[in-house]
Amino acid sequence: MNDVSALPSNHTDCQVVKVPHLVFLVLGMVSLSENLLVVVAVVRNKNLHSPMYMFICSLATFNTISSLSKTWETLMMEFSDVGQLDSRGDSVRRVDDIIDALLCMSFIGCICSFLAIAVDRYVTIFHALRYHNIMTTRRAAAALAGIWALCGVAGAVMVAFCDATVIKIFFIVLFLISLLLILFLYVHMFLLARSHARKIAALPGSAMPHRSLRGALTLTMLFGVFVVCWAPFFLHLLLLMVCVENPYCECYRSLFQLNLVLLMSHAVVDPAIYAFRSAELRNTFRKMLFCSDSPLCYKVKALFH
Amino acid sequence: MSEIHNYNQSRPSSTRGSDYVWQYEYYDDDEPVSFEGLKAHRYSIVIGFWVGLAVFVVFMFFILTLLTKTGAPHQENPEPCEKRHRLGNCVVDIHCPQGDSLADEDKAFSRPLLDESRSFFYISKEKQGRGGGCGPHRVRGSLGGRSSFGLEEMGEAGEASERGDGGIDLQGLPEEGKSEREHSFLSHHFDIPNFVNSEHSSMTGEDDLLLCEPPALLDSQSCVQDGHHVIS
Repeated sequence: MNDVSALPSNHTDCQVVKVPHLVFLVLGMVSLSENLLVVVAVVRNKNLHSPMYMFICSLATFNTISSLSKTWETLMMEFSDVGQLDSRGDSVRRVDDIIDALLCMSFIGCICSFLAIAVDRYVTIFHALRYHNIMTTRRAAAALAGIWALCGVAGAVMVAFCDATVIKIFFIVLFLISLLLILFLYVHMFLLARSHARKIAALPGSAMPHRSLRGALTLTMLFGVFVVCWAPFFLHLLLLMVCVENPYCECYRSLFQLNLVLLMSHAVVDPAIYAFRSAELRNTFRKMLFCSDSPLCYKVKALFH
Repeated sequence: MSEIHNYNQSRPSSTRGSDYVWQYEYYDDDEPVSFEGLKAHRYSIVIGFWVGLAVFVVFMFFILTLLTKTGAPHQENPEPCEKRHRLGNCVVDIHCPQGDSLADEDKAFSRPLLDESRSFFYISKEKQGRGGGCGPHRVRGSLGGRSSFGLEEMGEAGEASERGDGGIDLQGLPEEGKSEREHSFLSHHFDIPNFVNSEHSSMTGEDDLLLCEPPALLDSQSCVQDGHHVIS
């Protein structure tokens, strides 16, 4: 996306760290295949047409779009480096704008999907009795339509007015608010689940001490991966606005491509954290990948079970 | 500064265009960022950011682990009160045999644990007795808590409600079927002595269904209060 021109070499300078295009291509391919698999599995299996899986599917779709656009952009940059593409041409710039808009849209969409998943889980835990009245399929579909519309508009606006500082401020504020909301929701859920587990552990014959660590580990992983992958990019945006001429900030900004790699790797890790946790989805993958309805299926199943 | 730019512009440049190269020369000749005289290491922001992030994640993990091991002591006190409140709203009959069965419970548990066993049994008996109609709410909460305490089970708590209720059409299932299924699930997992089961299952068969519908609203409200207490 951005391209900081390299300063003349000087041993005290921070050179821009360039990540080979192959890394982006591989990450993009892996993330694309994983997320596409999740989308197809959710669409094909009728049991997975519930709000929870709809939000996971939406997250996977946004990740698919982001990996597609990033791969496409990497390919274009590769071609322009080789000399096949004129990087100053009008059509190329327009395509570049579209790619940037899609990337912005998918970033905002990912954040909104995380929020939606956290809210859905929150309602499951705290309003379990009325969950199916509160979170109907129609409402979930409406929420998703709203999210997609918002992200599409935001992506287009961001690229159209990308020079304005207010866009970057909006992006950063959105990220911080979502971060705090997600943290609050998950910690609240964790505390309730914990108090239940303590009561159960107090009963005779049901002590499971190792389980207590697992919840903390899961929550730390969920939130930690989100923060580790997204925060460097947003700090870069912040530093772009706040300290343009500071050498320390310049050194941080020289690592921009590494931050982009982190963002892409989050799209790779996402299915493992959200989608593959569900046994129903895993079974759907197995059926889809290994066999459909052939007798071979049973032999393969026998091998795996 | 401007003289340098003018100088560059006035130089005959047949091979270069004007606007595009101008910007390039701006960066080239006029370095806005000087790297001379840096007091700290030049990657100090990078190092500081990543160290801070790592410390935050590890700190969060330790806080959560500490919470799981010790728990906030004030969590336990308001809950029995709220449970009594909820119980009072839900099924009044359960109060009566409390006096009789408490004596039996004291035999089941050792003396020093008398107070705690009473409060914990109170909670567990509620779960038993309210395994009927009011139960599903707490049951699912405890499902999320008990089945592994991993957060993935929270995603699966929603799933369990689908699985346990035979699919997505929860509204279609009869209330009795749900309550019986969860009742048996509870008793099987909780491993509570039978006298508690037998006393309450007979009493809370249909009363729960009638009396607990309105308190469903109170249930969620008091549970939100519960959550608030937990957080505060």
